[in-house]
Amino acid sequence: MKNVVIAGYQRSPFTFATKGALAKVRPDDMAATVVKALVENSGVNPADVEDLIMGCAFPEAEQGLNVARLVSFLAGLPNSIAATTVNRFCGSSMQSIHMAAGAIQMGAGDAFICAGMESMTRVPMTGFNPMPNPGLYQSYPDAYVSMGQTAENLAEKYQISRADQEAVAVESHARAAAAQEAGKLADEITAVEGVDQDGCIRPGTSADDLAGLKPAFGEGGSVTAGTSSPLTDGVAAVLVCSEEYADANGLNKLARIKSIAVAGCAPEIMGIGPVPATEKALKRAGVSIDDIDIIELNEAFAAQAISVMRESNIDFAKTNLDGGALALGHPLGATGARITGKAAALLKREGKSLALATQCIGGGQGIATVLEAC
Amino acid sequence: MTAIKKVGVVGAGVMGASIAAHVANAGVPVVLLDIVPDGAANRNVVAEGAVQKMLKTKPAPFMHKKNARLIETGNLEDDLAKLSDCDWICEAIIENPKIKQDLYGRLDGVRKDGSIVSSNTSTIPLNVLLEGASDKLRADFAITHFFNPPRYMKLLEVVAGPETRADAMTALESFGDIALGKEVVTCKDTPGFIGNRIGIYWSSVATVLAYDMDMTVEEADAIIGKPTGIPKTGIFGLADLTGIDLGPHVMKSMLDLLPETDALPQFVTEGHPLTQLMQKMIETGYTGRKGKGGFYTRDKATKKKLARDLKTGEFRPTVKANLKSVRAAKKGLRALVTHEDKGGKYAWAVLSRVLSYAAELVPEIADDPRAVDLAMKTGYAWKWGPFEMIDMLGSDWFAEALKAEGMPVPALLEKAAGRAFYKEEGENVFTLDANGEYQQVVVGDDAWTLADKKRGREPIKRNGSASLWDVGDGVACLEFHSKMNSLDEGTIEMIRAAVRLNKQGYKALIIGNDADNFSVGANIGLGLFAANAAMWPMIENSVEEGQRAMQSLKNAPFPVVAAVAGMALGGGCEVCLHSDAIQAHAESYMGLVEVGVGLLPGWGGCKEMVVRHMTNKKRPQGPMPALSTVFQAISTAQVATSAAEAKEMLILRKGDEISMNRKRLLADAKARALAMVDGYEKPEPVELNMPGPAARTAFKMAVEGFVAQGKASPYDAVVADQVGYVVSGGNTDMTETVTEKKLLELEREGFVTLIQNNKTLDRIEHMLTRGKPLRN
Repeated sequence: MKNVVIAGYQRSPFTFATKGALAKVRPDDMAATVVKALVENSGVNPADVEDLIMGCAFPEAEQGLNVARLVSFLAGLPNSIAATTVNRFCGSSMQSIHMAAGAIQMGAGDAFICAGMESMTRVPMTGFNPMPNPGLYQSYPDAYVSMGQTAENLAEKYQISRADQEAVAVESHARAAAAQEAGKLADEITAVEGVDQDGCIRPGTSADDLAGLKPAFGEGGSVTAGTSSPLTDGVAAVLVCSEEYADANGLNKLARIKSIAVAGCAPEIMGIGPVPATEKALKRAGVSIDDIDIIELNEAFAAQAISVMRESNIDFAKTNLDGGALALGHPLGATGARITGKAAALLKREGKSLALATQCIGGGQGIATVLEAC
Repeated sequence: MTAIKKVGVVGAGVMGASIAAHVANAGVPVVLLDIVPDGAANRNVVAEGAVQKMLKTKPAPFMHKKNARLIETGNLEDDLAKLSDCDWICEAIIENPKIKQDLYGRLDGVRKDGSIVSSNTSTIPLNVLLEGASDKLRADFAITHFFNPPRYMKLLEVVAGPETRADAMTALESFGDIALGKEVVTCKDTPGFIGNRIGIYWSSVATVLAYDMDMTVEEADAIIGKPTGIPKTGIFGLADLTGIDLGPHVMKSMLDLLPETDALPQFVTEGHPLTQLMQKMIETGYTGRKGKGGFYTRDKATKKKLARDLKTGEFRPTVKANLKSVRAAKKGLRALVTHEDKGGKYAWAVLSRVLSYAAELVPEIADDPRAVDLAMKTGYAWKWGPFEMIDMLGSDWFAEALKAEGMPVPALLEKAAGRAFYKEEGENVFTLDANGEYQQVVVGDDAWTLADKKRGREPIKRNGSASLWDVGDGVACLEFHSKMNSLDEGTIEMIRAAVRLNKQGYKALIIGNDADNFSVGANIGLGLFAANAAMWPMIENSVEEGQRAMQSLKNAPFPVVAAVAGMALGGGCEVCLHSDAIQAHAESYMGLVEVGVGLLPGWGGCKEMVVRHMTNKKRPQGPMPALSTVFQAISTAQVATSAAEAKEMLILRKGDEISMNRKRLLADAKARALAMVDGYEKPEPVELNMPGPAARTAFKMAVEGFVAQGKASPYDAVVADQVGYVVSGGNTDMTETVTEKKLLELEREGFVTLIQNNKTLDRIEHMLTRGKPLRN
């Protein structure tokens, strides 16, 4: 079987939905800018790319009509490249990577652009026309449980105090601010319409700042806006190709994909999804969690991230080194490509051997990717 | 005549900025300039800051936030040229003649020929303002005195100088009246004009005499309140509202300007203990509601209301006034002032002075007693003007009572010689002028109240709740006149009669009245009674009767125009929604508020809002967004805080118009109705494709989220679910069509479901007994 590598990672700045610097930018335009930069920076010959696989959690309106194909036109890619839009909610663009990896190992292509996009400004979460199935809602209301509620459920289940949640948020902001300050985010960011800095990071966020916030999802709850990832606009993209192709074309290999997995869980505690997904992926890679040097765990909510770290014995010290979604933001469809690309880049930057990227998915799922140094 | 199409306001303090906001409310572009503060990085910071602040001010100076976009801000150093195309420049800067005169000189350099310059001064006489002025300015200059806040206070005092062009005054008066909706009162160039001249004397007399006559603040407010036609704040409550600290400034400027022989300086003594108490209050931050409190405050811990003891100066728990004179006042003003308790004596002491002061001042401050009455009613919110009060007492009785008291009888009162200041003869009203001659009050065709049309005539038809009047030119007016204009069987009966008036030759109908509120909605007391007796079929029948009446308005054989002002809530709003057009006073507060009493709009309100939003050509695509907006408005009992907001909510449709001046509303509605007569066709019913249960489920999920967050109660969710059921089209499918008739059936079904729930009955009972919604 062919080895699959990640040979390029770019993303847009992540900025607050509605009030952020990218609120007025169409997500397809933003995606085209990032995809174009990925192609240029990675050195891949566009003619060799098999498919543009675009993850998006709410593929309608400006993100509708097989937006992947439209992005390929906007980015000036050759018409010979195919394009598909995939939806696994928050796991959408990690799913793009998994689909490419599977295709490469089947011999169905050598190079893939795997991207994700979401303007949470321009296409609201739940979309413009939410039309739930009345029968399902009646028989199984948790099928439609709100994300905030799932975080409260985990905080309750794992007895995670508000202070513990806030400590993680403070650390996430501190790490992201330090990385930004040190210029460690500059390589991965492609400027969009003159915006070249992440907008959600709040340097100097303190436990006291967070302690003053009101519960966001229910009276007496412990989850606040400060311990939830913000609504965010952003795009991320990675180049996935066979190792042979990368070597033959002199591409910069960041990491090799060692294993992948998806798993389902109860929707009312969807945030725990990374636990079964990680377990499967580690088993398939033949390694244990202690063997992993670098972890990118999406922080949808602090309570959710803590639950996963406790349940999977994940050490926070080697997790989200440059900050997580609590600080950087979580543009739903784009996050999977960001954390997988970031894990690959960190593996190289830190000179380590094994990395894990994993995230939870609304509706009750997890997705995970294990990477190894090339 | 100069047509005022663009306005400049110089001075972005509270008055200047809010005058600019109100000009913007009229849809007229306005330039707002102020100084550049020393070292300011943003040279327009004062004017820009004022506009930003107004967007957050309550009560809102803007009728719609988007009106702020009509204000172009700038500064007096760089942007004077922005005034060059303004037709009217209103100065509202610091009350300093020298600074104002300098500004006028600069304005002369930029303003266009024929433009008007006015000052919003409340104290400085016009002749002082014009010292050293050019001939050009003298011809173009006037005083325009607004009352604070300009959006809400109706009075606009205007003063012309001896050389002011007559057409400039006409332009200002017409703009003030039609565009700004003000009661424009022409005043003479005397200190405080009319409103403040009498108002300041009145408040001094009422507060000082309260002290001298050993009245508590509660007792004084109980007398100088409803019994004397004053808003329920009372005199001390009013001081708290306007700001205690304002008093000394205004008093000083008036004392500086008035001759010593005037009653105000005669009355005011500097060392009075109340003056000293108020001085101490100001110094310690008790400046009224904007400060730590004033004559009233609330105990921080217990939240109980406290009042100040005037003698000790200390707060104590409030004690409700218990005065027989207050109850006697229900029999009339004379019963109040002749009552023997201390309240009656106090009322007489205040009114005898204030009413004779007003009478003394005609013709000094105005040629016409009616102008004085108008100014006090619209500038100080008095229910009756001084001369109307004299008529209530009887002018001969009042003169005799003054004599008996050893008080001088004003010359005007002598001239009245026992005659009333106002008299009605047939369809006309006459008022006594300063010479003691009766003059007819001219009512224009374009500005009248229903009272003007009713005077000396009989209605076409009448019952206890509503009447039909002939308002001329083949147009009838349906007037509601039940308590708070709530709608009941009598109203429904009169609607049925109204839509048959074509048989008597009428060609259009307007629905309107002179009351503060168009209608507060259906009389829910009757519904509660029927529900307590479990008369469900009767309730459903009466809902259906109401629906039929509303449909009959919609399908009337002639145009129907609702003339709305004040509140049009629930059923009152549904009457408007079923009219062919709405002519709305700018200060109209419309909304479907039924969920507050655990019900839903059952007289076609849901249907009309669904139809308005689903047939709106500019609506977002997809089955949900338009209905989500309707659902949100109804399930949260959203009320528009202005006609402009009602337009945004689509309660007003394209083509519906707004009248800024209340007294033009009925005339505008009538003109609108007449314009629709030729070729009138009743509206075609529409059929809609609606999403049904999926939408209801989406609404339900959203509301349950609010319940989880504590923003809605569990019973709110039950009520909202019925609203969701109706506005989603019931158990329909997107492939089917829903008729208006079907929507009405759904409304009835939802209504009857809810009224059978005890929690709805608790809400209704709470509303009836406490006057506010119950959150159960």
